Amino acid sequence: MTAATIVALIAIAVWTGTVVAWCRRRPWGDAGRRFFRHPSATKGMVVLVFLATVALCAPLVTPFAPYQQILTLQDHPPTWLHPLGTDFIGRDVWSRLAYGARVSLGVGTLGMLVAVTLGGLVGAAAGYFRGWTDALLMRCVDIGLSIPRIFLVLAAIALWGKLGVGALTVLLGLTGWFATSRIVRAEVMSVRERPYTDAVRALGARPWWIVLRHVLPNSSAALIVSAALGIGNMMLLEAGLSFLGAGIRPPQPSWGNMIADGRDQLATAPWTTLFPGLAIALAVMALNATGDALRDALDPKTGGK
Amino acid sequence: MLAWLLRRIAASLAIVFVTVSLTFFAIHLAPGRPFMPPDERPMNPIVVHRLEQIYGLDRPLAVQYVRYFGALARGEMGESFSQRRPVAHAIADAVPNTLLLTATALVIDFTLGILIGLFQAARARRRSDVALANVTLFFYSLPTFWLALVLQLVCALWLGWFPTGGPTDPVMHASLPLLGRLGDRLYHLVLPALTLGLVGAGGTARFQRAALLEALGHDYIRTARAKGLAESAVLVRHAWRDALLPVISLAGVALPFLLTGAVLIETVFSWPGLGKLAADAISARDYPLVLGTTLLATCAVVLGSLVADLLTVAADPRVRVTA
Amino acid sequence: MISTLVRSPRVAVLLPALLAALGGCKGQGGCTTEYCGTVVFAASGEPSSLLPAVSTQAIERDVFDQVFLKLADIGPDGGTFGDSGFTPELARSWEWTDPLTLTFHLDPRPRWQDGPPVTAADVAFTFDVYRDSIVGSQDREALAHIASVTATDSLTVVFKFRDRYPEMFYDATYHMRILPAHLLRNVARATWQTAPFGRAPIGAGPYRFVSWTPGQSIELAADSTYFLGRPHLRRLIWRFAGNLNNAVTMVLAGEADAVEVLVTPANIAKAKADSALTLYPYPGSTYNFVRFNLRANGDRSKPHPVFADPQTRRALVLALDRPQMVQAVFAGNAKIPPGPMPQLWSWLWKSQLTPAPFDTLEAVRLLRGRHLSFHLAVPSTSPTRVQYAQLLQEQYRRLGVTVVIDQVDNATLEQQLESGKFDAAMESFQTDPAPSSSVPALWSRSGPTNWGHYANDHFDALMKTAASAPTRAAAQAAWEQAFAALDQDPPCIILYALDNIAAVNRRVADVRIQPDSWWGLVRTWRIPPSQLTERDRAGR
Repeated sequence: MTAATIVALIAIAVWTGTVVAWCRRRPWGDAGRRFFRHPSATKGMVVLVFLATVALCAPLVTPFAPYQQILTLQDHPPTWLHPLGTDFIGRDVWSRLAYGARVSLGVGTLGMLVAVTLGGLVGAAAGYFRGWTDALLMRCVDIGLSIPRIFLVLAAIALWGKLGVGALTVLLGLTGWFATSRIVRAEVMSVRERPYTDAVRALGARPWWIVLRHVLPNSSAALIVSAALGIGNMMLLEAGLSFLGAGIRPPQPSWGNMIADGRDQLATAPWTTLFPGLAIALAVMALNATGDALRDALDPKTGGK
Repeated sequence: MLAWLLRRIAASLAIVFVTVSLTFFAIHLAPGRPFMPPDERPMNPIVVHRLEQIYGLDRPLAVQYVRYFGALARGEMGESFSQRRPVAHAIADAVPNTLLLTATALVIDFTLGILIGLFQAARARRRSDVALANVTLFFYSLPTFWLALVLQLVCALWLGWFPTGGPTDPVMHASLPLLGRLGDRLYHLVLPALTLGLVGAGGTARFQRAALLEALGHDYIRTARAKGLAESAVLVRHAWRDALLPVISLAGVALPFLLTGAVLIETVFSWPGLGKLAADAISARDYPLVLGTTLLATCAVVLGSLVADLLTVAADPRVRVTA
Repeated sequence: MISTLVRSPRVAVLLPALLAALGGCKGQGGCTTEYCGTVVFAASGEPSSLLPAVSTQAIERDVFDQVFLKLADIGPDGGTFGDSGFTPELARSWEWTDPLTLTFHLDPRPRWQDGPPVTAADVAFTFDVYRDSIVGSQDREALAHIASVTATDSLTVVFKFRDRYPEMFYDATYHMRILPAHLLRNVARATWQTAPFGRAPIGAGPYRFVSWTPGQSIELAADSTYFLGRPHLRRLIWRFAGNLNNAVTMVLAGEADAVEVLVTPANIAKAKADSALTLYPYPGSTYNFVRFNLRANGDRSKPHPVFADPQTRRALVLALDRPQMVQAVFAGNAKIPPGPMPQLWSWLWKSQLTPAPFDTLEAVRLLRGRHLSFHLAVPSTSPTRVQYAQLLQEQYRRLGVTVVIDQVDNATLEQQLESGKFDAAMESFQTDPAPSSSVPALWSRSGPTNWGHYANDHFDALMKTAASAPTRAAAQAAWEQAFAALDQDPPCIILYALDNIAAVNRRVADVRIQPDSWWGLVRTWRIPPSQLTERDRAGR
């Protein structure tokens, strides 16, 4: 690490603390207070904001470029200059970790956005319109849920020859919306029976308008929780795919393919495998903790334990 | 009831058919061709062409599709390109290995998970609960393949306590007596099953804890406490019965995992199971084997959900089967 | 560092033995003589079929070379000219009855492992099968010069050739493993690719097939009645490790005894530091190169915008500091050949040829200030090739040449090569002992694996001359000329030819590695009784 990068990291840490402290002080309402009262909510938020900021400001906190090879330092253990060591071609692990955060967090978040949007729309349509729409859509969901993960690898390889990170994100999203749609469908079906929905319908509003403007926002709790917990799953899935060689292709760093790269040097250079895995674990832990806290906060029945 | 069952079975068959068809087209349209050996002798294209003729790959895709499903209807899954024997044999050799691994992992998962969840609920919100909550969260968030690598590194390579992989010791296994053979298998099973079991236990423990705490909030618990029952009896005899049901349904959901959930672990520990078979078949573009494993995995998932639904209907009288 | 921590490989071996002891008896007596010993090979892949006529992988050859025999094998000097220097196997003697007819007299002693003696009819049957296009053997084209093989009596076989050339004897003996006609005659030729015989082979070699546990291991046992002398090692076991690094890890952890190549300097260093292993260097049979596609990517009718010009290609060869790359990646454990040849053809290396120099000035001059850009396809399975690709990319970047690295898996790479949808590809080729078959296959105009559509008629003519040179000295001179013709019009960038280093457990004595088929001489290895371990003593 150089002095400049250490200063940048400290600045990011301060920024993270400020952001979280500011969030805590804002009047979010009952749900907000329940959220922050949860023991690991704050810690989760801190980790997430820190990781996201590091990912965004990667060039500032990394002394080396992620593709830069220093051939005299292959598989070198951690030193002052390379705080996490180097990998098998002499690339700085910390720098690749920071840039890999962009890919892993990005693919996870965007993939989840795609999944949640699609799942939300499909679930809402199925839950609101019932009848044929419901039956057809839910059959598709059943097919989707039956497809084993292997098929995902298959599809990834099938498309992989020509497209890039974007394709992987879309693919993960397209195959991850099934569970979300079921949850949203259940929520929408219960909201549908509420009096205000009848009222809006009586006023002559179009069905889609009702769904988007009234029904979905009131089922948003389930969506938000699903999203928060889902990003973690997306990240683990992307890591697994990259590990098998079907995800992000090197030399572009992603936490999953860094583990795959380091696997052959497991006995002699374990840091190349250990640190990316710890990074994934940390990020997913934070996401799960935040998701738990959100679920407890947004659902008054189970909150406040 | 019977009508519902028949409709579910028909729907399940349809799902399997669609999934296998999608897989068929995906694998055939994927870049890369079969018959490419992994080492450095490029295949003579004349030989490759001859092999394609032998396996019928030079026909149009639609013809191959029809032939495949025709053979499937007769019960033949075709011959594997990479193993040069019937797909059914390759799968039959792999399935017991996977079942052994995942069944052991599930036992570890649920035993450990339920006990930890129980312990946590008994000591809710105290320091041990919080500490355990962090531990279970950590294990639940780990990528399984990374934990596998770490365990392999520490326990097998550094400490030498366990083997680095494989289900048995090929040198000694045949000459060991029965007890020795069992011991050898167990010895090789420890690391892979532990990896899967620990990660799963993290999730199960969280789930069990939540279910128990919810059950403890019910009225009948207050009655039990008012009657003067000891806390442990309240927990174990009353709340746990209620909280076990969702955990059992979790086990039902885990049934399909028995066949498909161990791909990454099998790859790390060179465990010759279904997951590794499928992953290797995909990289070798071994079409019949890929289709065979997908068929089996999809059937497992569909069957698992059917069984889970049946169990729910049987166990919970509140659920009624809608026509 | 940590790798020197307490880690006893013996534990992994002793623990099951402990369990066996706990289980009651400790195996029947145990073998303690000169003819005991179990060697475990760590294999980086798994065979698909052990039937030689349909085999395509090196690992399959490793196993079936113990079970099947040829008529005669090449000698220790690896010579392929004439018929001297070959070691008799199934054939005891031979003579040339006329310039196009070769007669073999079979040894009456060898028997198939299920009983019947090996006869000339088996040899004739084997030739018929290898040449049958329905069976689809890899070696079919190599046997094209042989017109017929007939059995004149039960121990005499007559080979008739179509033309005269120096490697007639080599072609007659090297490619075919003699198969049992009495067991395979009734197997339909169209089903040979998936024949069950390939999963349970029966040959006439020093080792019998015992068992094959899919995904795990193959076991062979010594045939004590083997006619050329009972093998000392009682059992051979191949453990499938999945890839090379796992195989090396297995050997270093004491779970296997031998691995044929260590590749990376890290592995070599670890093996050197491990006192239980002995290292055996031998000439490697592969060479690695970057192939140029001389036709446009995806359109065979148009020339490639970058690589059609021979001067550009020469510039790209000169622009690489290949010795430095070899040093960085292999710490010097590889050499740069003067042409497309592996270290196996050692007699060619002694010639006047030298590899092209590292000359950036000349390269810049030849590039004439153009800024080129192309895609380099690299198989993702080999970390050393990935390393090489990135070094190459960096070196070219300094000259204004932009290289985009596409990491693809093997199957996709092969398909891209075959369909011509690539610019440049990093490849590795494993050769035969004879350059006359391995060089034209890739680099002649009509070569079956000339994916880059390289067409140099002058080179083709020189190759023909070299292939028909009568003596080794003449061949050496002719190949020199041929490779010199490649200087100004390079079909590829030759990167390196690996020094193979095998690691074998120290307790195994008399280890000899045959360069073209590394475990071919395992029948001569032995483990002295004083060095027998638990693993060696166990078993039937």
